Amino acid sequence: MHFEWTNLVIVIVAFLILYWLLNRYAFGPLFSVMEKRRELIKQQMDEAAQTRNQATQFVEEQKAALQQARKDAQDIIEQARQTSNSQAEQLINQAKEESLRLKNEAARDIETEKNKAVAALRSEIGAVSVQIASKVLQKEVDPKAQEQLVDNYLKDVGIRQ
Amino acid sequence: MHEAPIVQIAGLKFDLALILTVIVSGIIVFALAKLATRNLSVENPGKLQNFMEWVVEFVQGLISSTMDYKKGAPFLSLGLTLIMFIFVSNMLGLPLVVPFKYTDPAAANFFGLPLTTVLDGLNSGKEYVEVGWWKSPTADAASAMGLALIVFVLVHFLGIVKNPKHYFGHYFKPFFFFFPINLIEQFSKLLTHGMRLFGNIFAGEVLISVLLKMSTLWFGVGAVASVLGLIVWQGFSIFVGTIQAFVFTILAMVYISQSLETDEDH
Repeated sequence: MHFEWTNLVIVIVAFLILYWLLNRYAFGPLFSVMEKRRELIKQQMDEAAQTRNQATQFVEEQKAALQQARKDAQDIIEQARQTSNSQAEQLINQAKEESLRLKNEAARDIETEKNKAVAALRSEIGAVSVQIASKVLQKEVDPKAQEQLVDNYLKDVGIRQ
Repeated sequence: MHEAPIVQIAGLKFDLALILTVIVSGIIVFALAKLATRNLSVENPGKLQNFMEWVVEFVQGLISSTMDYKKGAPFLSLGLTLIMFIFVSNMLGLPLVVPFKYTDPAAANFFGLPLTTVLDGLNSGKEYVEVGWWKSPTADAASAMGLALIVFVLVHFLGIVKNPKHYFGHYFKPFFFFFPINLIEQFSKLLTHGMRLFGNIFAGEVLISVLLKMSTLWFGVGAVASVLGLIVWQGFSIFVGTIQAFVFTILAMVYISQSLETDEDH
């Protein structure tokens, strides 16, 4: 076995050259590629996590929207029910009012007709009674004074009635 | 054992087999890494890129098991280079042995440079000298120590620059007179770090060459035994080589984490 000091130096020099060459031409690019892949994977994982969060958020939002829609529908139904109730009531009230008005009108009409009839009857009776009286008396009574007389009489009768 | 093909240039001895195999394993590691990172894709990685990323994640696991990963991230490239280079180096010596038999001193040269180990052997009266031109770079004490020395220097540099109070303080803990023991500990760490790797791989290769030599014994019985032994031992050597690459790297990370840790951490 020999121990040559030159071997030691040769190996050191060769090793250092090899180290420099590998570092410069092989490992440097390889490390950067590995680093890039690491970053890519990290980025993708981040993205996946983000997407998942977004999805969860969307689902939450959807749920909330659905809840809201359900509530809105309920409200609308409720409102419709209330409106219909109040409308029905209103209609009934209107109908009642209308009928009352019609009734009153009818009563008033009857009254006026009655009054008219009474007035007509009164004048008729006056004239007839004058004619009767004149027929009976065979003489001409002043029709004006006679009418006055009958009128007074009828009024008395009317009050008594 | 085969001799190493050593030449002398300007008074310095160079082990040609080591130079060859270090360059080869460096080229294999770089080619593998480059091939794996040729068509890099973020979303659709190829098979080789997946494999390379698995290695990176494995080393990241080693680092985060020894220290806070944020602190250890700068040493990811170092850990990767260590584990890949040592693994490939450990495997390199397993598939083939290229022995070369020299009998003539005149032929024992490499492009005109004489192979000193061969000449020494022949001059000392041997009939021939076998030279191994192929081996694991890590099956050499000096080169394994070189790798350990890189980690050692890095660890102490980090300790002094990043964490000087703890670094200088820990030599005198728990008591002042523990200083020599702590000092020895530091150097024993260096020594065991390199020698563990060297020993495991070297022993593996020794046994492989022993098994190969066995093939000529006992008229064919040795050959059968040699093949069976090689099958088992090669498999085990792959396992050992993998484990040693892992152990060397995780120890480097442990030492680095020790140099980075602060007193406040406890």
